[in-house]
Amino acid sequence: MITSVVESWIEGPLARFVDEAGVELALLLHPNGQVLAQHGFARAVDVMTACALAAGIHATSGELGRMVDDQPFRGLHHAGTARQIFVAEARSPRGAYIFLTVFGHESSIGLVRLYFDELVAGLAVAAPPEGPAPAPALAEHFERDLNRNLAVLFGRA
Amino acid sequence: MTSPFTAMLQTLSRQRGVTAALVVSEQDGIVIDSNLQIGQQGDRMAALAASLYRKARLSAKAAGLGAVSFLQLEAPNGRLCAVGAGELVLVVVAASAVNVGLVRVELLRAVVELAGLNAGRSA
Repeated sequence: MITSVVESWIEGPLARFVDEAGVELALLLHPNGQVLAQHGFARAVDVMTACALAAGIHATSGELGRMVDDQPFRGLHHAGTARQIFVAEARSPRGAYIFLTVFGHESSIGLVRLYFDELVAGLAVAAPPEGPAPAPALAEHFERDLNRNLAVLFGRA
Repeated sequence: MTSPFTAMLQTLSRQRGVTAALVVSEQDGIVIDSNLQIGQQGDRMAALAASLYRKARLSAKAAGLGAVSFLQLEAPNGRLCAVGAGELVLVVVAASAVNVGLVRVELLRAVVELAGLNAGRSA
């Protein structure tokens, strides 16, 4: 399986996470749904769908957290019969990202949470010094930016 | 706060040289109850020990050796011992000089106790 990233500083920490935690799929994205890195996905359309759903889950669980606990929930774990999903916010010096991973019987939620903490620490170390603030995500540019990132991830750039 | 595992964990921790005792979910790698010293990373130990035990159990099964009764890992600064009890793993972390025989007896006794707890719940 191939790990591919839009920004090169993400590659090391993400590859280490995938290797150590033994997950099948991993995805790092902006809260607006723009993909930054992926592991294990074969098709761009699956990444696009997963990003949209993960951004939706993050926004929904954040609001639910604010309603019931005055603060957003930081993580979500769903255990299926064969596969499990873990979605959490990964804070880095470059801002907050959403991290989604899918794992099977080869791993466990304990291992995933353990190596997720190391991923966040690795991203904090690897993040380049703050440059100019990224341009705000505008609706009219969203599809163009998404297609550009998917092209980078799947070798069509 | 006490749990059904508190007394068992205290008995294990009273053994000379034992520094940590944990009850861990084998499948999830999450701590169910533990007796730790200050500064010990229970979550980390639980996740990795459960993974190690699970892989040892699967390896033994694949090799036709049957069930794993006792797992011991020796490292330069100590030992990690584990036994399985259904979906649970009992983990003990100890100094190198610990009496492994005593720890093993206590762990196997704890497994019997756990089986009794499970039987009591399902009755």
